[in-house]
Amino acid sequence: MARKQTKVSRRMLFTWFMLTGLIFLFTPQTLTSKFQLAFVHVFRWPLSIGADLALTAQTRQTLTDAPGRSETQYLNYIASLEETLDQQRRKFAKLYKLYNTYVWEGTDFALADVIPATVGGARNELTISCRKTNGLVKDHFVLGDECIIGTISDVFPQISKARVALVTDPASKIRVKIAGLAGLKYIMKGSGNNSAKVEMVKNEVKVGQNVFALKKPGFLDAPMIVGKVSECKRNQKYPALWDLTVVPACDVGQLEDVAVIIMNPQK
Amino acid sequence: MRWLRFAVLILAVTVLQKGLLARWSSKPDLLIILLVFFSIYCNTSEAIISSFTIGFAADLVGSPMPMGPQMISFGLFGTLLAYLNRVIAIKRMPFQALAIFVTSVLTGFLTHLLAYITGEPIPSNIYIVVLVTSVYSSIVGPFLFLPIAWWMRIKVNRYRR
Repeated sequence: MARKQTKVSRRMLFTWFMLTGLIFLFTPQTLTSKFQLAFVHVFRWPLSIGADLALTAQTRQTLTDAPGRSETQYLNYIASLEETLDQQRRKFAKLYKLYNTYVWEGTDFALADVIPATVGGARNELTISCRKTNGLVKDHFVLGDECIIGTISDVFPQISKARVALVTDPASKIRVKIAGLAGLKYIMKGSGNNSAKVEMVKNEVKVGQNVFALKKPGFLDAPMIVGKVSECKRNQKYPALWDLTVVPACDVGQLEDVAVIIMNPQK
Repeated sequence: MRWLRFAVLILAVTVLQKGLLARWSSKPDLLIILLVFFSIYCNTSEAIISSFTIGFAADLVGSPMPMGPQMISFGLFGTLLAYLNRVIAIKRMPFQALAIFVTSVLTGFLTHLLAYITGEPIPSNIYIVVLVTSVYSSIVGPFLFLPIAWWMRIKVNRYRR
């Protein structure tokens, strides 16, 4: 029997796909972001390889003492084990340092690995892989290289992942103070170009001054450095005021792990 | 059209875009290059399907933007390009580069406009990001057409009306 072939017109094809797109567009992001997270979760291995390769290329490392093919599998095993041990030591040292800081007394930290960061494009975010997602909630501050890099925007406990909106993300707004301007508090808004803006500042600020995230009850107990002033220019509308451009205090693109600050953890 | 090869190619390019290229601030958009390739070298029905599929893939790795804007903009401009290709053949490399640049700019702006409708903020550097990505894509794109055609077993001189 001849196989019956159904033919769909181009117009119908276009309409169906367009409708699908519109359904995705107007479905709440909490539902559709699960597709995005599932993709990252399924392909985390090739994604992390890609990220590692990129990091290696950027740091221009030379492998002068790379092991030859004649190395036995035991040597490889030992090397991997030593590296794992070293990594655990570094994590322990990091946690020890955080737990033994006076201002962090009673605070818990969740160490998390970074899955490729998108920092240079229009939006700035990180996806982090965290074994301990208990107690992790939206708006928790995230530390990277001893400075605030952003806040948790979504938590996915089923797949042990969370999303971090970086301070440079256009959706990010953080209360800050600027070194040298005592008593004055401002709102720092992300501008998407791996930088953030503080607008309508009353005084001129020197380039390189530190910018601190202000304490936020339940989320941050002490001011912490968030960035440095990279540009200070007059506001176009009100020339008596100044607009500051702030860059993160660390290179977010190079981060491999971060720590989430969990104030008042559940025991 | 060899759809299995198409699926493998899209998957590989999507992972490459999100993984290897994610850490570079200025980079070509490989998915746009694929979009233009399939719009030029496939028939219109195949171009419509591939455009929307590539848009869906771009949405999957487009977080924190919501899903949908890229699927719509890729689908719309991919389809328009396929119809345009029936009238004006885009065979020479400079024209292909121009097609990639224009498609990239248009999809970039429509994507952010649609995202804005759903409540996403529009970044201040949107023009620079879209233009730089478009320029990179248009420079790299035409050179990638040959390996893509080889993988898809498509003769690049073939032209269907």
